[in-house]
Amino acid sequence: MTQLDVFQTVKKVTLEVLPFLPPEEVSIEKNLKDLGANSIDRMEVVTRSMESLGIKVPLMEFGKVKNLEGLVDVLHRFAN
Amino acid sequence: MSGAGKKKMSQQDKSIKNSGPTAPIAVTGIGITSSIGMNAGEFSDSLRAGKSGIDHWTLSAGPPIPVGIGARLPDFSLAAALQQVEGVPEPLRRRVGLCAGRSPLGIQAAVLAALEAWIKAGLHQVPLDPQRLGIIVAGSNLNPQYSYGLHEKFQQNPEYLTPRYPLHYMDTDYVGTLSEIFQVQGEGFTVGGASASGNVAIIKACQAIGGEVIDACLVIGAPADLSPMELQGFYNIGALGGRNFHDQPDKACRPFDRHHEGFIYGQAGACMLLESPASAQRRGVPGLARVTGGALVLDGNRLPDPNEEGEARAMALALARAGLDPSEIDYLNAHGTSSPLGDEIEVKAVKQVFKENVNRLWINSTKGLTGHCLTSAGVVEAIAAAIQLQQGFLHPNKNLENPIDNECRFCPPQSLPVSIRKAMSNSFGFGGIVTSIILERGGL
Repeated sequence: MTQLDVFQTVKKVTLEVLPFLPPEEVSIEKNLKDLGANSIDRMEVVTRSMESLGIKVPLMEFGKVKNLEGLVDVLHRFAN
Repeated sequence: MSGAGKKKMSQQDKSIKNSGPTAPIAVTGIGITSSIGMNAGEFSDSLRAGKSGIDHWTLSAGPPIPVGIGARLPDFSLAAALQQVEGVPEPLRRRVGLCAGRSPLGIQAAVLAALEAWIKAGLHQVPLDPQRLGIIVAGSNLNPQYSYGLHEKFQQNPEYLTPRYPLHYMDTDYVGTLSEIFQVQGEGFTVGGASASGNVAIIKACQAIGGEVIDACLVIGAPADLSPMELQGFYNIGALGGRNFHDQPDKACRPFDRHHEGFIYGQAGACMLLESPASAQRRGVPGLARVTGGALVLDGNRLPDPNEEGEARAMALALARAGLDPSEIDYLNAHGTSSPLGDEIEVKAVKQVFKENVNRLWINSTKGLTGHCLTSAGVVEAIAAAIQLQQGFLHPNKNLENPIDNECRFCPPQSLPVSIRKAMSNSFGFGGIVTSIILERGGL
């Protein structure tokens, strides 16, 4: 699974959690907070991405994630 | 002069001591989502037509349970339903979608009802000070089906439990969600009174408004979204009906008929906006009815058993607080769940209170049409009473073929064009929680 595959999953989930968001705004350098996600929305993007990818990542792994790129990196590491 | 003044003062003291509504409270908005109508207009047409929402009901999950009938909320899309409500300002419409777009069914049904009441009360045009507006949500243990529905997945993969679970499992999610949507900043909480919860909420809202803590209150009848476990539990204690009429669901709920055999579960979200007369006057909204009395008493009894003395005491106290004699009440919206013992005891209590007036008091039970909406029943039935007062008709007492009593004046199978001025609505709950409220026709 490539990083791009993981990003596509994260993007799909993000748009489900934030249905008002225009799809083109979800790019790799953005962070979820700036996209309008509240604290619960952000956790939901993480949980649902893990579920879609069929992986389980300890939540502390996401502690230093700053943007979607960081989130994709962590998920990608556990997906392979 | 001074004597009259003193007398007035002592009456006021008494009414405060009784902590009933201290002055008539205006009903300035109503909204409902139910099995017989997804707004107040549809609901009132169904009442008039005597249309039942009770039908076969196949549960989507869990083992089969013995009673497969009920009055279910239709599947609906909040986004599509939102488009049907006219006059909603764009920021409000957007907040509804953002805050409740993916909430459980019960929240969405309540939000839709509240939005209807909000628009009807003109709060989008002539607003209230948000800090003087409250929310009281009727009911506790509202979403067992939500938890039940997630249970199997949780057993397999606890890591994938939705992060929204800790919000949604709590009844106060209703308070939080509605307060964000409608930007409410006064008092807000949930009240639990089992099947009397709706009336408890109305009584508490009247007290808060009468005591000038707030000027208006969104009273929310939250649907009880039961899982198969609750339904089986009610069945096991013999409270649930629907055994003999399983092939004719619309005949299963028969309040005050000799073949009644237990309550039929119903779902509805309802909202009644209650407002102080001064505030309603200031905003120029006349209102459609007034709540003029209410009483909440306990039987001192933890069981489901109804109690004649408690029921009579609640009705008498509600009348006293409204300053009315039993002869002045035209219509009783009975608790009438179609339970053999419950119906029988309510008839006895009504006779004890209304005495010789019982043969001119019209009685019906809305549950024959909506099923027993449990936590929201009180609000649903207060709305039904307000509609009948305002529009001058009485809905049928469905399926009454052989009345259990021949002295009470039960409504016939067809609706009646009758002008009624003063109504009482009863709601009784498990655990000896007994309530009665008085509604009168007309606004201010």
